[in-house]
Amino acid sequence: MMAFIVKYAAFSRISVAQARRERGELYGRIVFFAVILGVFSSLWRAVAEAGMPVAADPKTLVWYLAATEWIVLSAPPIHLDIQEAIRRGDVVYRLGRPASYVIGEFAASLGLLAARAPLLGLTAFLCAFAFTRWIPPLGALAIVVPFGLAAAALMTGLHLWIGLLAFWLEDVSPVYWVWQKLMFVLGGLMMPLELYPQFIQKAAAFTPFPVMLADPASFVVWNRLVTPGALARSLVIWCCATAIAVWWTFRRATSALTINGG
Amino acid sequence: MAAKSLAFARALIATNLKAALALRGAFVIQVVFMLLNNGTFFVFWWALMHQVSALRGWRLGDIQLLFGVVAAGFGLAVTVAGGVRHLGRFIEEGDLDTLLTQPRSVLVYALGVRSQPSGFGDLLSGMLFIAWSGQVSWRMVPIVLAVILASALVFVASGIVFFSLAFWLGRVETLARQLWELLITFSLYPEPLFGGMLRLALFTILPAGFVGYLPARVVHAPSLLHVSLLAVGAGTYLALAVLVFDRGLRRYASGSRFSTFG
Repeated sequence: MMAFIVKYAAFSRISVAQARRERGELYGRIVFFAVILGVFSSLWRAVAEAGMPVAADPKTLVWYLAATEWIVLSAPPIHLDIQEAIRRGDVVYRLGRPASYVIGEFAASLGLLAARAPLLGLTAFLCAFAFTRWIPPLGALAIVVPFGLAAAALMTGLHLWIGLLAFWLEDVSPVYWVWQKLMFVLGGLMMPLELYPQFIQKAAAFTPFPVMLADPASFVVWNRLVTPGALARSLVIWCCATAIAVWWTFRRATSALTINGG
Repeated sequence: MAAKSLAFARALIATNLKAALALRGAFVIQVVFMLLNNGTFFVFWWALMHQVSALRGWRLGDIQLLFGVVAAGFGLAVTVAGGVRHLGRFIEEGDLDTLLTQPRSVLVYALGVRSQPSGFGDLLSGMLFIAWSGQVSWRMVPIVLAVILASALVFVASGIVFFSLAFWLGRVETLARQLWELLITFSLYPEPLFGGMLRLALFTILPAGFVGYLPARVVHAPSLLHVSLLAVGAGTYLALAVLVFDRGLRRYASGSRFSTFG
């Protein structure tokens, strides 16, 4: 077991080192994050002026968005790398190595996540404070951080699964677009699920999206959708389901793989 | 010269269209998924505007119109001039070498050398959103088409400027992509959310105003002043983009590469 951990931790270490060298994308995400929070703090002020009939304070809604966006932006878009590796045929060279391709990619992505999450978290905190002049109870933030990191790891696993679809699809972008937008709505990315119609809330309950976004972020809002124990249980269940889906998809893909050339 | 460039651009568009339709399955998937993507994204506005009747004077129909104009303008831009998103890489990797030897405008060739099939989905969904907004009649169709064209021109012009920074700064792919995404992000939210210096910036350095707000205003309430402003704005941005690209091209260093486009 120890050898297994040491082997895949090396993938993470390499990817952390790469992320530290290539900071352009991270800085871009930080700017984008700040802009989105600015836009939405203005939007929620306008909504409050219009008399939104929900007991949601614009300040808490900005912090809610800071938490959900932090999770989304921290998860690396690994599906793009996997798609490129499959398109170019690089994946073939990786299959023969004494390390699982899928676990290696996941470990590398966790390394990227570890490099990104602290800076993006700091951005979320500073920007949300700058726009609201308010900080949620520190106890709530202390719950959001570990659950947010676990949710971002689950999201990374699901990105990995989307990337593996490139074995059958030429371009996985369309799948990712729809997946991303479903996450926006069913996960309650931009506003809490309670503000959506009942049928959307009911549909969301059957997906992993609320577990990844709305549930962890709801700890900073006025009402908590779940208890920490229930959220931990849901995260474990969805992590297991994702691991099984990734394992099964990769097994199907490699069994049908035709390797040409030399 | 302009007539020749126009005929050349027409030929490039026709070639790209044929290439896209050759892979009919992939083309249909991209278009359909983009339609779903845009429709799902709009669920947020639909849910929000059922909570409040208006946001600083903007109703759901106004937001639909804005969203439609931006989606259609973006779709037209990336369908006809999809190369704009690759311009930074062409410059940085010396891929313009092949184009420089051709007896045609380098910029027109670089823009038209790629087309994004999903752009058709954006264009189609944009038109559906405009029709659904309830703010246009059949008599308005020529105006709608003209504002979509103006929006697309500003999108392309902005892209040329952002990605041409590679002539001076080298590797700017991430930065330019982020600027382009910021332009899209700002243009999708109602204008009254932004005030002061930010609104000035949105009509100058990051021309979301000319991509969405002003075209939507022209459709909503056509006036000679707004039409003139839009025409002058789009023309100015295009002229500026051509100027920036031409200036940059003088600094371009060959990649000494042998490659082909097509």
